[in-house]
Amino acid sequence: MKVGLEVHQQLSVGKLFCSCSGELAEEVTGEFVRRLYATQGETGATDPAARAQASRNLRYRYQTTPNSCLVEADEEPPHSLNPDALAVALTLAEMLGSEVVDQLWVMRKTVVDGSNTSGFQRTALVAIGGKITVKGRTVGISSICLEEDACRKIGEGDAETTYRLDRLGIPLLEIATEPDIRSGTEAHDVAEAIGNLLRATHRVKRGIGSIREDLNVSADGGSRVEIKGVQELRLISRYVDHEVARQDELLRIRDALRERGARVPDGPSVDLSPLLRETSSRLVGDVLRHGGTVRGICLPGFGGLLGESKVPGERLGREMADHARARGVKGILHSDELPGYGVSAEETARIREALGARPAEDAFVLAASRDVHHADEALHAVAERARAALQEVPEETRDPLPDGRTRFSRPLPGRHRMYPETDVPAIPIPGTLREEVRRQLPEAPQVVQERLESTHHLNPEMARQILRADMVEAFEALIRKGLPVTLVARVLTQDLPQIESEAKRPLPEGNAPLVHWLEPALRAVEAGRFAKEGLSLVLRRQLLHGEDVETALKAVGLAPAPGDDLAQIVEEVLEANAPLIRDRGSSALSPLMGDVMARVRGKVDGRTVAALLKERLDRRLASSGPEEVPGA
Amino acid sequence: MTEPVPSSPDQPSQIQALPPGTSLRIRRPGGETWEGWLLPRESSSDPEVVHVKLRSGYNVGLRLVPGSEVEVRPGPLWGRTGEPGEAQPGGELPRAGGGPPITLLTTGGTIASRVDYESGGVKPVRDVSGIAGSYPGLLEGGPVAVRSVLDMLSEDIGPREWELLAQEVSQSFHAGARGVVVSHGTDTLAYTAAALQFQLPFLPGPVVLVGAQRSIDRPSSDGVSNLLGATRVAREADLGEVVVVMHAGLGDGPLAIHRATRVRKMHATRRDAFRSLNESPLGGLEGTSGPIRLRPDAKPRSSEPMEIRTGFSPDAALAWVHPGLSLARLERYTQGVRGVVLAATGMGHVPVPLLEWIQRSVREGMFVGVTTQCLEGMVDPYVYVRGRELQRSGATFLGDLSPETAYVKLSWLLHRTSDPELLSRRMAENLAGEISPRREVHEIPESGAP
Ligand SMILES: [Zn+2]
Repeated sequence: MKVGLEVHQQLSVGKLFCSCSGELAEEVTGEFVRRLYATQGETGATDPAARAQASRNLRYRYQTTPNSCLVEADEEPPHSLNPDALAVALTLAEMLGSEVVDQLWVMRKTVVDGSNTSGFQRTALVAIGGKITVKGRTVGISSICLEEDACRKIGEGDAETTYRLDRLGIPLLEIATEPDIRSGTEAHDVAEAIGNLLRATHRVKRGIGSIREDLNVSADGGSRVEIKGVQELRLISRYVDHEVARQDELLRIRDALRERGARVPDGPSVDLSPLLRETSSRLVGDVLRHGGTVRGICLPGFGGLLGESKVPGERLGREMADHARARGVKGILHSDELPGYGVSAEETARIREALGARPAEDAFVLAASRDVHHADEALHAVAERARAALQEVPEETRDPLPDGRTRFSRPLPGRHRMYPETDVPAIPIPGTLREEVRRQLPEAPQVVQERLESTHHLNPEMARQILRADMVEAFEALIRKGLPVTLVARVLTQDLPQIESEAKRPLPEGNAPLVHWLEPALRAVEAGRFAKEGLSLVLRRQLLHGEDVETALKAVGLAPAPGDDLAQIVEEVLEANAPLIRDRGSSALSPLMGDVMARVRGKVDGRTVAALLKERLDRRLASSGPEEVPGA
Repeated sequence: MTEPVPSSPDQPSQIQALPPGTSLRIRRPGGETWEGWLLPRESSSDPEVVHVKLRSGYNVGLRLVPGSEVEVRPGPLWGRTGEPGEAQPGGELPRAGGGPPITLLTTGGTIASRVDYESGGVKPVRDVSGIAGSYPGLLEGGPVAVRSVLDMLSEDIGPREWELLAQEVSQSFHAGARGVVVSHGTDTLAYTAAALQFQLPFLPGPVVLVGAQRSIDRPSSDGVSNLLGATRVAREADLGEVVVVMHAGLGDGPLAIHRATRVRKMHATRRDAFRSLNESPLGGLEGTSGPIRLRPDAKPRSSEPMEIRTGFSPDAALAWVHPGLSLARLERYTQGVRGVVLAATGMGHVPVPLLEWIQRSVREGMFVGVTTQCLEGMVDPYVYVRGRELQRSGATFLGDLSPETAYVKLSWLLHRTSDPELLSRRMAENLAGEISPRREVHEIPESGAP
């Protein structure tokens, strides 16, 4: 197999072509509705994908936010390119050993799904070439581009899509590798290594959605398929492996089809509505009642191959359905799933007859739609897909699904959708600028990892985690302040990820603010004010309410209060569990421990509790005689 | 014949001499291989940097340091034949709908433009079919006769072009057009609109000026819905005036119809830059469907014979009054003119050193008109002393007439009369909806139809 990656990383340097903040916003200040039209490219040609999309007459509703201005609204030309973003791009080019252009040209890449108000994404090629070595294998870098992020999609209807302008214009650094990767695991490792390089610049955004990968996968004998916008690193290997399996399966089905002499007739689809007037299929009945139509086509030789697959969830029938859906129908029905979905055996037989489909050997596909044209176009798309099934795996763009599968989204865009951004003059990149970048190169991630392991005796996994979270500086600063390594490592690798996911709020961005925020709570633990188990509780409270440690301690009930004496709590628990102690003797320790911890968790550390409890329990057992047997 | 080109030129100047579109392979010492096509050189750019369109579609600039290897590859020039561009869309226009015919006069500007590699900016498309091809649905309502009258940026359009356009409009109506659309760059569109209105007092149908704030080479261009709306107004509206149809807001829905003598470009870049001063827009429409709304005082199509009153005097001037404006500078600026419109401060005031000059100039036969640089509201000589002094010095107060329309009107009137008294009277009275005795109580409209 061949796999190439495109890593897209949001930079935390404001926006690329205006002075707005790059922080996403929940506040909506207004909205406007637009359309997009297919335009001619620089040679006078129109991108067919763009024309098809524009012909659908969709409307786009844009929400303005406090971090969007006339530039994002496409009401003002882009300002000059953000020099900080360019510096990050040049830094990565240096770290990867890429060859930088001498003059940067901003291009418009046509995107007419409305996700850019302008109808294009601004993008510039910064460098080509270079390499990255991961676990002894070297993977080539094909290009480094600087581009602007698109709008956030808020909602989608039949004729209108709603987008928010807050994300539009955030700089994205796109690093594309050559198709040198040979496994899903390796794809994961390379993505992680590139992510580490990016974080080493300290100018990248963190959190979900701030880094997105496109995976270009081709199985042996298969074709290039682009899985677009994978947000979770841990899913990369699954998507790659699944895609390879999908392509292998499609090739196996192709061979089976060829062996059978399967073919796809050219003729028009057939109106089957009269045959299905009385059907108990809800889907079909509903469409017919509303004046719609059911049409069908026969696929000779395809019988049994639409619904069967060795790869779970990857059937040829599903591929066809995805293509049909892209033409505006809700779905299709095919012979391998009929009778079924309310279509009876008798109706199935009649359809077979009407379409001239031989039993078992041939397949047929039905599309129902209130709009006659949609049904016919959907079946046209199905026939196209069936034809492709006899040839090869189609090159296409697919969307990742949360379960590790993918779904067809559109054919790969043509190469001819680039147009120069005439509003931004070409930007010279002088040698002096490159030298300056070279002088300020960040430490390589491997070097940092080694230092964390050797100097601070962190285990490799912890070191990796701190590196990946871009918290090395914070870690080392807290150590320099005299806090113990174990405590600092614990809070950075265990507590913070938990707090961030539970509180659903970003941690203070940047290492200095992070240190400033963490230090008081860690000092309080060191001073014995509360146990380290209470850290996540206290810090979460501080994050959500912006409180200082003392206030947070009181609010979560960790501040010392009268009657909270450990010995007293232990005695109360022993007293309340007298029967249990009689029954189980010294093995009652573990359930009792649970009861005590439930009352002191976070305030006293577990070891102290266990020691005291054991002592008191032993004392109690020693003082009781065997005559106190229950039931006596 | 061109000189034979070496297959491995090594001087930047040799590369620059190759025809644009030549397929190239470039390798700098110890570097990567760059493959693509030579782009035309920007006239102002560094001669050692060659501009290349890479196979990926990206453009880059590469410095040819000594030792660089450049290989000229065989194959067609980029952008001329198939590779890598695609076939041009068919030149045949879709069949027109059955409605009455209108005429589209084009003057250049943003409504039809494309990238120009030599300057780096956009420049107008010259061929007529290129325009129709960019506007899906242009012909749905009926035939559109397209005439390319001018090929100019709007900042270059002036009195001579105003006259030519008036003649073209007149001829279009004589040839049977139900309405006329004029596509025009937006910068000076409002001046041209006012100039056409003064020249064409009786119109058998609408003359609709239209433009685009985002050029038509962008998928988000406002030009498409502006032009489609303008053709609808030209064909369907019962209107015998020159108007401007442009976006009423940031969205692609509502369009505003502005009276030619009241409209002004009020924003450098926004789609809704055009506003009516001192009155609501004359009307509006919801883009490609729905009714066209017009104010009750909109002039209906005229049944009078068309009349054309061309001619503009070069001896008119427009001067912006500002603190520190010296008498000497104003004198130099108005040297030899027969009339000047002052965009004065507030209700129509000027610094004291100007008063004496105005008095002297008016006595010598020059016309001095007073408008407000506030743009909204009217001038009034009676409220403050300075206004009275200015009026006593012989200046004519022009009510709520905008400075630009006043300038166009003055230039047009100066061509027709040299009688100072008549000029002064005509300038202050309403000829084409440019002056009104009353302004309604509503907030100054940000934008939008009435
Ligand atoms: Zn902005």
